[in-house]
Amino acid sequence: MTNNQLIAQIKELRQIKPNQNWVFSVKSRILGEQKEKQSVLNVLANLLFQPKVALAGVSTLTILFSVLILSQDSLPGESLFVLKRAVEKSQALFVSQDNIAQVNLETANKRLEELAKIAESNQVKKIAPALQEYQASLAQAAKNLIKAAATTSDSVVIKNIVLETRKLEENKARLEKLYGIAGLEAKEGENPTQLVASWLINDLEKRTLTDEQNLLFEEAKKDYENGDYNLTLEKILELSESNY
Amino acid sequence: MADLKETFSQIYDQWIEKIFRFVFLKVNSEEVAQDLTSETFTRCWESFKNGSKIDNPSAFLYQIARNLVVDYYRQKGKTQIISVENTFIADPNNDFAKNAMLKSDINTIRAVLAGLKDDYQNVIVWHYLDDIPIQEVAKMMDRTEDATRVLLHRALESLKNKINEV
Repeated sequence: MTNNQLIAQIKELRQIKPNQNWVFSVKSRILGEQKEKQSVLNVLANLLFQPKVALAGVSTLTILFSVLILSQDSLPGESLFVLKRAVEKSQALFVSQDNIAQVNLETANKRLEELAKIAESNQVKKIAPALQEYQASLAQAAKNLIKAAATTSDSVVIKNIVLETRKLEENKARLEKLYGIAGLEAKEGENPTQLVASWLINDLEKRTLTDEQNLLFEEAKKDYENGDYNLTLEKILELSESNY
Repeated sequence: MADLKETFSQIYDQWIEKIFRFVFLKVNSEEVAQDLTSETFTRCWESFKNGSKIDNPSAFLYQIARNLVVDYYRQKGKTQIISVENTFIADPNNDFAKNAMLKSDINTIRAVLAGLKDDYQNVIVWHYLDDIPIQEVAKMMDRTEDATRVLLHRALESLKNKINEV
């Protein structure tokens, strides 16, 4: 036998091969064991850093963000308006108790602005849901105005509430005049202007006023008794300008 | 960790058959060869993931396998007895007569090879069976290239003489 023949025979031993199932199972066991030892955090981290998963996550966030942005232009009666309300509610969670009534009044003003857009574009079907949303915002504002009247004495907070209430009256008057929209009157006990006027009258009763201020205050109280809460507010603002 | 696994996976795929064959030729038992080969790769992976620097994975694997075989015989107090009949060889050839003859030749050479001293077995298996270059074999055996060539020549002569004796 030559060396070449012998070497050829040695090479025949390459036919000795392990069972392929065993080969696969050993590999799985060795590398799989490591997988089991990984913490949930590592698995999540690995998952998040996988390009496909990361891309899917970024895409989902982008879509959600876009929908949220779009919802801010939605009007009552539209499907995205629910999302807009949810965002407003979640934002309100982070507002201090002193400022919550002001935020509620701002929301009521937003509802009136939406109502104006609806009237402007003649989207008749959306008027009813818009009015409902406006009344709901007034109810919420009234609830927090009563609380604020009992607990707040911060002049800046009161001034902002008064300004927002005046804006509400202006918006309401504009809507009634331009579009002839009815049903903007607040329900009994939920009229923000009345609540604010009452709050301010009670506050001024405890203060020392000049003769001129007293005169205005008396007129304001008469206006309040006559049910003209808007005028009451105007007069109190006039006499209080130096105080607030 | 993912990169480490990928690298180890490639090493595993490249060397699993060779390490198994290397061990099997020494222990003459599929079951024992599977156990020792599995342990070889497990130890390699442990070193790998613990950050050990492994410059030459094949040399590292063969070294672990050699140590495990030595331990196996030491613990069991066994000596290598290879039977020509006890085979574990795939059947790539469908021609029965030819296959029978081939099997016979392979079993003979396997049995004779197993009877050679350890250095002779290793140098033949690594160079002729696993195609590892002489330079690499020399490093694995901690010898010079010339000394490895001489060893290979003597190993081949020894194998030839023993086959002629069968």
